[in-house]
Amino acid sequence: MAQIPAISDSTNRRHLKNVILKVSIIILSLITIVPIIFIIYKIVVNGISQINLDFFVKPSPDSLQAMTALANHETIPGGIANGITGTFLIVIVASLLAIPVGIMIGIYLYENPTSRYSGLIRNISEILQGVPSIVLGVIGYMWIVKNVTNGFSALAGSVALAIMMLPMIIKSTEETMKMIPNEIREAAFAMGVPYHKVIIKVLIPSSISGLSTGVLLSVSRILGETAPLMLTALGSSVINLNITKPTNAVPLLIWEFYNDPNMVKLVWSSSLFLLIFVLSLNIISGRLAKKHKTGRKK
Amino acid sequence: MKNLLILIMILSLTVSCNNTGKKSASKSGSNVSLTAAGATFPMPFYNLAFKKYSEKTGIQMTYGGIGSGGGIRSLKDKVVDFGASDAFLSDSELSEMPAPIVHIPTCMGAVVIAYNIPGVDSLKMTPDVLAGIFMGKITKWNDPQIKAINEGLNFPDMNIAVVHRSDGSGTTNIFSDYMSKVSKDWNDNIGAGKSLNWPTGIGAKGNPGVAGTISQTQGTIGYIGSEYAFAQKIQYAKLQNSSGNFINPDVKTVSNAAKGDIPADARIMVTNSSAPDAYPISGFTWIILYKEQDYNGRSKEQAEDVVKFLEWLVSPEGQAIAESVNYAPLPEDAVTVAKNILKTVTFDGKPLLSE
Amino acid sequence: MNSDRLTRTVLFISSLVLLMISAGIVFSLVGGAIPAFKAFGPGFIISNHWNPTSGHESYGALPFIAGTLITSFLALLICLPLAFSTSLFMAEYYRGTRVAGILSSMVDLLAGIPSIVYGLWGFYSLRPLIISLGLNEQGFGVFTSSLILAIMIVPYATSLSTEIIAMVPDELKEAAYSLGATRREVIFNVILPNARSGIIASYILALGRALGETMAVTMLIGNANVIPKGLFSTGNTMASIIANQFGEATGLKLSSLIAIGLLLFAITAIVNSIGKLIISRFSR
Repeated sequence: MAQIPAISDSTNRRHLKNVILKVSIIILSLITIVPIIFIIYKIVVNGISQINLDFFVKPSPDSLQAMTALANHETIPGGIANGITGTFLIVIVASLLAIPVGIMIGIYLYENPTSRYSGLIRNISEILQGVPSIVLGVIGYMWIVKNVTNGFSALAGSVALAIMMLPMIIKSTEETMKMIPNEIREAAFAMGVPYHKVIIKVLIPSSISGLSTGVLLSVSRILGETAPLMLTALGSSVINLNITKPTNAVPLLIWEFYNDPNMVKLVWSSSLFLLIFVLSLNIISGRLAKKHKTGRKK
Repeated sequence: MKNLLILIMILSLTVSCNNTGKKSASKSGSNVSLTAAGATFPMPFYNLAFKKYSEKTGIQMTYGGIGSGGGIRSLKDKVVDFGASDAFLSDSELSEMPAPIVHIPTCMGAVVIAYNIPGVDSLKMTPDVLAGIFMGKITKWNDPQIKAINEGLNFPDMNIAVVHRSDGSGTTNIFSDYMSKVSKDWNDNIGAGKSLNWPTGIGAKGNPGVAGTISQTQGTIGYIGSEYAFAQKIQYAKLQNSSGNFINPDVKTVSNAAKGDIPADARIMVTNSSAPDAYPISGFTWIILYKEQDYNGRSKEQAEDVVKFLEWLVSPEGQAIAESVNYAPLPEDAVTVAKNILKTVTFDGKPLLSE
Repeated sequence: MNSDRLTRTVLFISSLVLLMISAGIVFSLVGGAIPAFKAFGPGFIISNHWNPTSGHESYGALPFIAGTLITSFLALLICLPLAFSTSLFMAEYYRGTRVAGILSSMVDLLAGIPSIVYGLWGFYSLRPLIISLGLNEQGFGVFTSSLILAIMIVPYATSLSTEIIAMVPDELKEAAYSLGATRREVIFNVILPNARSGIIASYILALGRALGETMAVTMLIGNANVIPKGLFSTGNTMASIIANQFGEATGLKLSSLIAIGLLLFAITAIVNSIGKLIISRFSR
């Protein structure tokens, strides 16, 4: 277990080291904040002018509308409703695919920590994390667009994104569960609780905070992914809720806006939307985690 | 607070569902939807044209700007109704397709030479000087060769920084095709293609990347797609064409480049045109589709919709849309060729367009 | 007992899903990459030609491998002290306070920013900074990309570490304090050994993210298909060249790009194993 060093350092020295550490930590944390503030500031300032009710309910404008609006110094009409609904659709399907599978794999690794097979699975999971998103888009194209839906579709996008989510969910599940004191798990078994109940009623609630972090991180990541969706969901100028048809998504729209000479402004407002969405997800998951706290934290 | 958030989410979902309901209810009940993918160059035009056609006929149309290569691949894999490409398929590429395909020219665009030189707001370029700059042989702005063609202008003693595209693109293709025609040096060492082995310069991604780099860095010169440059009001140079005239790129001079003979299959690069009032770095963009539309269980109705749409696209109504977003419309001859090709598209052996 | 077996089987099957997915990916990639390897042989990996001119086509992966490794490791290096300090800040020093809560939300927000927006911000805000510091005339280069990568991977390195550090049982820490240890000693001798596995896991995750990042890097690295000559010169990465050229590629070039994708897969595997080896050496 832990070891306390024999007091070889003089007490003054130890206190000095203590203070130095604290100061460095604070300074470095502040340095970390600086770029965060800059980026968020830029997004908010540039994006807020374009946000109104239309933004949420109207589909994206075309180049001509944007051009005319710019020439008349008006706000560009339309919104990103086709992107918002598409993102919801694709992300929800991807989550339904990835979260259960990822958590189950994480639990498997936790329950069988030392077998060679587990080592293999762990390695594969880490390697998957490094695959560029565009390659997964190619995979989604090859597997789903060509063979399953015979055309570009939201489903292909969800599959590519789900694969992207897996490593993070697996990792955070396994690592968080490892931190649960063994006694709790053993106590449950000792009382004769069946295995699946141990998982659902003991392991998961104890690690909910870590689990939701993993889920949150992976959902946040895929919310902003463009490249894989270009090759799978393709895009659409209207709202589409059919997973076998091409669909748009907010990051895809951002890419379209970026490449269109008249619609660059909309890039920032769309990013602002994503930012707010991620913030809401954060808040919601934080609340959920608090509800299930087993009283370990102060 | 949490309740408020949930309320907002439910509201937005409801509203968006409403919109979907409204859209499908008001359309004339057509369940056909057409999907296309390909070149990014004509994307603003296609998006707008698709939208207008949708409003007109109720057919839902989707376009994905994934690149010409992606468009060709998608057509090959038969996952789209038609593809779009900035470069026509070579004979060997045609032979790799599972069935014969046809090219329909849809509009024209050009490549403009953009620059950022302090103190200079109007620039003339000749093919030789251009080749010299982009090949890294002319390296300073106050080089005598540049001054010779721009009498009266004051050039600073500054290094020339060339900006080119880092991503494969039809813009690069048109530019390099032109350069290969006007400079033997270029033809021998660099050649034409969607991406090149650039001897000098920085690569930026996409038109916005090149335009952004040029506008933010002094002493730069680069090439940009015309639809982008015209909309963004970027400074670009007048280029001397093969007749010796310095031409300012605009939709007229670009269309002029296609004056003259266009082959029956529409596969031609019209750079360095011999027409005296033509802008020399201009080109077509094409839509590609299978000649025989009965494949993969497609319905005759679907095939008819495709052909009718393309017929509309090259009509005056469709071409006016092109012009409204800074693309050059097809000249008369090209429209005739396009229509003739459309007449050869068949379903089960029988031409789809009645005539 | 039957339900227990069932549960175990279900868990095992889920792990098979991962196996099948990765096998499928490798299989599809290998299939697409074969033409390139047939044409250039294994020398593809160490060749630094990249000539797309038709008639003289020759592709090699070395410049991109170099670019990927340099930018990713540099990014991790920059990110490490920042992420580590921030985790300790949120999970130890100021745990449970409003400040920590706000900081945590801000860091998590970083993960939700689309990579293209990072690229844009880097393009418009970071580049002028680099130019004015005189590091590179146009502001592009390895350093700029690594900097933006570092910012992008901070949430991955921080979030999980924070959770893990916070989960170290209080009794262990209290026992140490009661023996007169300073905070620093508790951190280095109690918390870190306990949380080591989780913290390292989060850094590996962050590194993985950096290796595969596409958009932001491609907008800032200058896209020169050569091995970068110095910290501030331009170069290119594997993910970036794939993203740049994939849309327009056909034939041999397409196959080369897929081959690079496959190589990235392999490199991530190698980097991961080396990393783990080094760490297990250190913990002796």
